Amino acid sequence: MNFYLTGLYFLPLIVGGILLIAPAKISRPLVILSSLILSVLALLVFFSVSEPVYFSVPHYVSQLVAGADVLMLMYFLWVALQRKSLLVGILSVVQLAGLLYILKNLSGGETLQFMVDRLSTFMFLLINIISGIIAVFTLRYIDEEECSAFRKKFFMALLFWFIGAMNLVVSADNLEYFFLFFELTTLASFLFIGFRKDAVSVQNAITALWMNQLGGIAILAAIFFIMYNGYGEITFTNLLAHTGADGLLLPLALLSIAALIKGAQLPFSKWLLGAMVAPTPVSALLHSSTMVKIAPFIILRLSPAIKDTPVAMVIVGLTGFVFIASAISALSQDNFKRILAHSTIALLALMIMMGAIGTPVTIVAALVLVLFHGISKCMLFLNAGILERVFHLKQSSDMDRLSESGPFTALVMTIGFMSLLLPPFGAFIGKWLSIETLGALATEKKLLGALVLVAVAGGGAVLSLLYFKVMGLLINRTGEKDQLRFENTGPYYSATIYILLGLVLITVAGLPLLLTYYFAPVAAAVHGSPVPVLNEGWNLFIGTMRIPLLPMLIAFFLLPVTILLAMFIRFRHADRAKEYMCGEKINYSFSSFYFSTDRAIPYFSAAGILFFIALIAVALI
Amino acid sequence: MNDYLIPVLLIVLAPVIGGLVYGFERIVKARMQRRIGPPLLQPFYDFLKLADKRQMMVHSTHAFLGIMHFVSLWFALAVLLLGGDLILVIFLHLLSTALLILAGYSTRSIFSHLGANRMAISVLAYEPVLIIIAVSIFMINGSFDTALVFAGNEPLLYKMPLAFIALLLVLPIKLKKSPFDVAEAHQEITGGVELEFSGLFFEAVYTAKWLDYIFCYTLVFLFAGSNILLGLGLMAFTFLYLNALDNSSARVNYKQMLRFSLGVAFTLAFINLIINSLL
Amino acid sequence: MNLAAYRKKSPWILHYNAGGCNGCDIEILACLSPKYDIERFGMINTGNPKQSDILLVTGPVTKRSRERLVEIYAQMPEPKVVISCGACASTGGVFRGMYNCEGGIDQFIPVDVYVCGCGTRPEQIIDGVVQALAILEKKTKALEEPVQLKRAAKQEEGQLNRRELADDIKPLLT
Repeated sequence: MNFYLTGLYFLPLIVGGILLIAPAKISRPLVILSSLILSVLALLVFFSVSEPVYFSVPHYVSQLVAGADVLMLMYFLWVALQRKSLLVGILSVVQLAGLLYILKNLSGGETLQFMVDRLSTFMFLLINIISGIIAVFTLRYIDEEECSAFRKKFFMALLFWFIGAMNLVVSADNLEYFFLFFELTTLASFLFIGFRKDAVSVQNAITALWMNQLGGIAILAAIFFIMYNGYGEITFTNLLAHTGADGLLLPLALLSIAALIKGAQLPFSKWLLGAMVAPTPVSALLHSSTMVKIAPFIILRLSPAIKDTPVAMVIVGLTGFVFIASAISALSQDNFKRILAHSTIALLALMIMMGAIGTPVTIVAALVLVLFHGISKCMLFLNAGILERVFHLKQSSDMDRLSESGPFTALVMTIGFMSLLLPPFGAFIGKWLSIETLGALATEKKLLGALVLVAVAGGGAVLSLLYFKVMGLLINRTGEKDQLRFENTGPYYSATIYILLGLVLITVAGLPLLLTYYFAPVAAAVHGSPVPVLNEGWNLFIGTMRIPLLPMLIAFFLLPVTILLAMFIRFRHADRAKEYMCGEKINYSFSSFYFSTDRAIPYFSAAGILFFIALIAVALI
Repeated sequence: MNDYLIPVLLIVLAPVIGGLVYGFERIVKARMQRRIGPPLLQPFYDFLKLADKRQMMVHSTHAFLGIMHFVSLWFALAVLLLGGDLILVIFLHLLSTALLILAGYSTRSIFSHLGANRMAISVLAYEPVLIIIAVSIFMINGSFDTALVFAGNEPLLYKMPLAFIALLLVLPIKLKKSPFDVAEAHQEITGGVELEFSGLFFEAVYTAKWLDYIFCYTLVFLFAGSNILLGLGLMAFTFLYLNALDNSSARVNYKQMLRFSLGVAFTLAFINLIINSLL
Repeated sequence: MNLAAYRKKSPWILHYNAGGCNGCDIEILACLSPKYDIERFGMINTGNPKQSDILLVTGPVTKRSRERLVEIYAQMPEPKVVISCGACASTGGVFRGMYNCEGGIDQFIPVDVYVCGCGTRPEQIIDGVVQALAILEKKTKALEEPVQLKRAAKQEEGQLNRRELADDIKPLLT
């Protein structure tokens, strides 16, 4: 067990180190092999951990961690000086001061520093498998990047270090360690976003840095308040053990703020949108398996403590608002990656909301959303990378006739979008569970529940409009090429996409099994009490919620199979006719439509800030 | 077993009943204009005639998506009538609409694209309202299952009249009736997404419209619960209302439609939700 | 089941104005009005060639509309009939011989029924459609085959008259 865990923590770090110096010939097999090993390790850990595993590290590691903390903050300061960014400088100084104060007052003695429970193992699976796939994809992608050979190696190395940092984040119990790993992911994303080194990249990297630094400060403040109120150990375990105690609401609110910032909720969505300037694997990594998924992770970890508190209510309100606001602002976007980014923010809002409500069903919903969103978004982003590299497309309005030049890419992207929206895919299940539980919430919490429900219903409809808009461009073609021939995008690209496509289809087909044996135990661990998932006849019961399986099964044949068949089927006996254009014979070029929702965005940000203020306010009161 | 007999019969005969409703509607509409109108079985004559046309299509994907639109709509209807989960039903209906919208987008025909765009916008206009109505039903029944609604004693209409009005306001969008028929707009974009279908393939889309009638009238019927007389009354009222509205109003553009539906119908449904949650 | 019998119960009409004065068009619309109500025969004015059975053409063929007329005709699935509605559509009418006018529509697409009048009366139109339905019932789903023409078009009244080109093959067609 511990061996596997050690592998998860150290293998990425070592592989990253080797990649930095090894020649390209070695790096390819190495990356593929280590991605495989990491995935297997994550699986092994998942199956071997049923009770939370606590372990501490020797004292000198604590000192090492403290040293690393300080070093990293010094690096931030250096960045601030180099880029002449006052904001980053001030935030770094504040962080440094806070950290030193905490380190000085930290009670000595052996505390348990790490905890690996089912939630951690759940995250391990997501992080290692999806990021491994992205790493393999990157092998080819980074080859075509215009930069020096060392930068390419550095990129691959950074990717693995990022995976390592993520593995550490989800298993840290001590909040000081958590702060370090949290800021390490910030650092990694800063380096990633600024990778291309042009003015926009640097600017956006700085934005990402200071926003996430705010999250770091929130964690430090949380640690401070825990110590100040005299609750002893600064660990998640200790925090959860004192659920409902006086004065703990503020630290919880601060940790939630860190989560919300990481999750790019309004008004902090700018860093994630700005991250689009980086090479596409970075976006895939940030959006699907790492970085933003810290947000639902923190909220899920804290959910037993924050549920039913005013803090949770404000978070629910905020995320409900973010869901519809980011869906609306997505309507004005044309850049394909930005469209995806907005929908990520919206779905993250839904996950965080579900985590914050914290009933067994909503926790299952949050986990379902985390996993399925991870897979689908990864697939979509990698396809965005292929579009960029193979088809030289970045704007969604340029994708006209893509299904003629790249039918396979178009098909996969159509399935990807469908999987974010419609039954029987997991994201739909998540959304369904959310609407049903929000209905229950509206019965209890009256106005708040009703408002959030309206936001989710409205936002969902807006998102479906958005997805239709993009899918419409992907699917259109003339009748002249009624022969299907899949394009060849090269082994690395097509292999990763096939794996992801397989994952999407298999997870959908095996959903009842996954719910019973995969999500329910994790949700039970998060919630602290068993989550009953019963499979009776053709119905699946999660708590009070009933999922009829037969309709889902038929829906599986209706939707994914329809989309696949629609590409392959040929009616040979029917004649082809030209499209009706009032008898004219003109070749039109098709584009998409926009809604100018840009004007609303400042108001959205302002409302987001109000929510954050409210979050602190309710915690103080 | 008897519980299932009527729903199953309804499901199997849904296209036939829908066709009759459509035929009757054409007569009623004609009478409202002081015309005689076509025979009652006219939709079936159309159906049989279309079966005998030379088969033409733009491309296979387009034709196949049209057929699957019909199949998935029938499936959504079956789930609704068999007492399935209302949210699931709404999303299954969205699925079938999605397939038709995709079919519209899949050709390179301008009118088809315009129709698909407008249809996607009408989804935005009516879907939130339907979901809010479903949640209102949940608040009263404690469950989203339509089976409970069909079995419920007191009709929902008395408990949530505002939701019924909201439903009446969005039904024209869903059924593509004036003033909210932008998605179809025969005189303007010659039928929108339906345009490129012909012969047998058009038949699927044509009969799917009949299924949509059954779907919508079942939604109306939900408000009467187990009170069948009231349900029939509501359906008759809705029928007359829809046709009178269709005959007497001119088409509004999509912005006006969206503004009306999200401004008036959605607000009504929301007020109803608040009232229900307070009671 | 003889499906051909249902053709005449639901004739869907596509109405195309090839360049006329709109007089006949107004009469066609009058047919839809309560006084004549052609919907009682199951007719629908579809405006969409792909779902229509009857092509109702008004006006002479202008040089601009010639290709569009043929294109729309080609997009109608068989079996289909063409009604030339009014004097202009049948022969060119008062526009015959004008620089922009090609004459009657039968020079470009096969016409099944000619309806006279300038403009045609609604009763005549209905009568024409009823006659067309009888022809429609006999038609098959096969494509209307082109036949080789041997004569050259002759100059007449300042424009090419292609009408008599088909004299040789007329026996074949009937």
